[in-house]
Amino acid sequence: MDSSSILDSLGVEIIGVMAPVSICMFLVVLLTYSLSVTSDPQIRTAANLIYIENPSDSATVKLEGSLANAIVFVVLVAAVTFILVLLFYYNFTNFLKHYMRFSAFFVLGTMGGAIFLSIIQHFSIPVDSITCFILLFNFTILGTLSVFAGGIPIVLRQCYMVVMGIVVAAWFTKLPEWTTWFILVALALYDLVAVLAPGGPLKLLVELASSRDEELPAMVYEARPTVSSGNQGRNHGSSLRALVGGGGGGGGGGVSDSGSVELQAVRNHDATQLGMGNSHNLDYNAVAVRDIDNVDGNGNGNRDVVERSPVVGNPREGHFASAISSEHSTAVGTRGNIEDRDTVIDEEMSPLVELMGWGDNREEPRGLEELDNYVDSSNRGIKLGLGDFIFYSVLVGRAAMYDLMTVYACYLAIISGLGCTLILLSVYNRALPALPISIMLGVVFYFLTRLLMEPFVVGMTTNLMMF
Amino acid sequence: MTVAAGIGYALVALGPSLSLFVSVISRKPFLILTVLSSTLLWLVSLIILSGLWRPFLPLKANVWWPYALLVVTSVCFQEGLRFLFWKVYKRLEDVLDSFADRISRPRLFLTDKLQIALDYSSQLHAAGGLGHGVAHAVFFCLSLLTPAFGPATFYVERCSKVPFFLISAIIGLAFVTIHTFSMVIAFEGYAKGNRVDQVIVPVIHLAAGMLTLVNFASEGCVIGVPLLYLVASLTLVHCGKMVWQRLLETRNQSSASG
Repeated sequence: MDSSSILDSLGVEIIGVMAPVSICMFLVVLLTYSLSVTSDPQIRTAANLIYIENPSDSATVKLEGSLANAIVFVVLVAAVTFILVLLFYYNFTNFLKHYMRFSAFFVLGTMGGAIFLSIIQHFSIPVDSITCFILLFNFTILGTLSVFAGGIPIVLRQCYMVVMGIVVAAWFTKLPEWTTWFILVALALYDLVAVLAPGGPLKLLVELASSRDEELPAMVYEARPTVSSGNQGRNHGSSLRALVGGGGGGGGGGVSDSGSVELQAVRNHDATQLGMGNSHNLDYNAVAVRDIDNVDGNGNGNRDVVERSPVVGNPREGHFASAISSEHSTAVGTRGNIEDRDTVIDEEMSPLVELMGWGDNREEPRGLEELDNYVDSSNRGIKLGLGDFIFYSVLVGRAAMYDLMTVYACYLAIISGLGCTLILLSVYNRALPALPISIMLGVVFYFLTRLLMEPFVVGMTTNLMMF
Repeated sequence: MTVAAGIGYALVALGPSLSLFVSVISRKPFLILTVLSSTLLWLVSLIILSGLWRPFLPLKANVWWPYALLVVTSVCFQEGLRFLFWKVYKRLEDVLDSFADRISRPRLFLTDKLQIALDYSSQLHAAGGLGHGVAHAVFFCLSLLTPAFGPATFYVERCSKVPFFLISAIIGLAFVTIHTFSMVIAFEGYAKGNRVDQVIVPVIHLAAGMLTLVNFASEGCVIGVPLLYLVASLTLVHCGKMVWQRLLETRNQSSASG
C-alpha cells in the first residue's frame, strides 16, 4: 500500500533511537530492582571523590558534599574531553581508537563480568569457572571488536552499545542518592555548555570530525535508518530495521538483565578505574553524523565499481559523511577507494533523495540526527552518545529505588525530552546536547511525582476510587 | 509464585492494550509517538490535579463527598484537556496532510490521500485514547503493584473478598477500555460536529468515575465493578457501531468512485 507509507515511515528515526534507550532503561530498572536487596558497601569512584554520603548526615552536609562531588566529576569529565579533543586534533586517532577498544574491553570484561557473576550466583546457575571464563572472554572480545571494526553487523554493534550502557549505568546507580541527583543535573548543564557554547569541547570535537571527514573517535549509538538506497521500499525497510534493531538490542541486553545483579565483585581499585572509563564514555556524547547509506554502501559498492572510475578525480566532494564509513571499514591505505565509491553512491542517490523530498530538513523523520546530535542533511543517521544512554538509565534506575510510579514518570519525561531534542535537531540541523532537556524533565517529574502525585494516587486507589 | 501473581495482575490490567499495541501500534512509529505523547499528557494532567488537591490530602477516610468532589473536578479537568488535545491533533493533522502532500505528490493521487485520512484517523484516535488508558492503568494500578511481587497480598477493608491488587487491576482494565474508545468517539464527534457524541464522552467518563464511588460503601465493589463494566461495554459497543458505520460509508464511497 503506497498510501500507508507516509504514516508508516513517519517517526521511524525517532523510534529507532527511542527503542534502544527504552530497552536500556528497562533493563537497568530490572537490574536495580534485584540489586536493591543486596546491601552494598559504598563504592569510591571518580564520581564521589570528595564526599562519601552517609545516610545520617544532615541535609546541609549532604548538599555541600554532593555539590562538591558533582563539580569535581564534571571538571574531570571536562578535562578528559579536552584531552580527547587535543589528541584528536593532533591526529592521534589510532591511539584514541585503541584506547576506546581497551575501555570497551575493560568495561565489558570486568564490570560486565561482575554482573554475570552475580547473575550466576543469584540464580544458582550451574556453570563451571572455565566455561564461564571462556564465554565471558568471547563475549568481551566480540564487544571490543564491534566498537570500531567494519564488517560487523550494525545490529550487533547496537546491541553492544546498549549492553555497555546497561553495565555502566547499573554501576552508577550505586552512587548515593544526593550525589546522583547533583551529578545528573551538573552533567546536563555541562552537556549544554560543551555542545553549544563556542569553544565547548564537544562542539570542537564534532566540528573537527566533520571538517576532517572522520568518524568521531567515540562511543556512539547509531540508529541506522534503514533506508536501502533508493526508492520507496526504503520506508518499509527502515521501519523494519528499526524494529529489528530494537529487538536485537533487547536480546543483547537480556543477557545481562536476567540476573539483576550487583557489581559487588568490583573492588574499589577497579571501580575507580572504571569510573574513569565512564567519564570517557561520557564524552562520547558527542555525536557525529553519519551517512546511513553507508550501510548499504558495502553492498552497493560492487554495483558501483564500474561507475567509479570517472569519479575518481573528485573524491572529496563535500559529502563528508560518506567518508566516515571508510574509517571503520578499512585500513587507511585503501581509504581513497572507498571514499570514491561512497561518493559515487551518494551522488547517485541525490536525485532520488530530492524526488522523495528527503532534502527537506523540516520533515523530522527523515532528517537526521544525532545526539549530542549533529545533523547533516546529506546524512541520515541519528547518533546518540553512549553517555546519554547511561545517564538516562541512571536517572530511571535511581527512580526505581523509590517506587514504580516515579519510574514511569521519569521514563515518560526522559523519552519526551529525547523526542523534543530530536525535533529541535531537525529544526536546527546541528549537533545538540541530548541530556539537558531530558534530564531536567526527568528530575522535575521525579520530584513532582514523589511529592505531589504519590499521596494523591495512593489515597485514591486504596479507596478504590479512580477516574 | 508471587512474581507470577504480580505479572498476572499487570496483564489483567494491561493485557488487552498490550496486544493492541503489539498488533497494530508497534508497526507504525507514528502511532507509538502518539501513544507516548498522550500518555505524557495524561501524566501531566494527573500531576496538575494532584498539585491542586495536595493541600487537602489526605482526605478523611469515612466521608465520601470530598472524594466525589475530587472525581468530578478531575473528570472535568481531563475532559477540558481532551478538547485541547483535539485542537492540537487537528493542527497536527493539517501539518501531516501538507507533509504527505509534499513527499508524495509525484506518486499519490488525491483519492489516495483521502484514503490515508480515513484509514488512519481511527487508528490515530485509538492510539491517543490508548495512551490515556495506559497512563491510567500504569499510574493507578501498576505503580502500586510493587508489593504484589513480594510475599503476601493486601486486602482493603471495604472489599474484603478480593485482593486489592486484583480488584484494582480489574477496575484498571475497565478504565483502559473506556479511555481508549471514548477517545475515538470524542474525536469522531468533534470531527463531524456531532453533538451527541461530544457530550456522551464526558458523561461516560463522569459516570464511570462516579461508579467507583460505590466502592466506598462496605462491599460496594460487588456492585460497583459490574456496573463499571457495563459502562465500559456500552462504550465499546457505541464505538464499534460508529466505526462500523464509517467503514460502510467508506466502502460505498470507494465503490461509487471506483
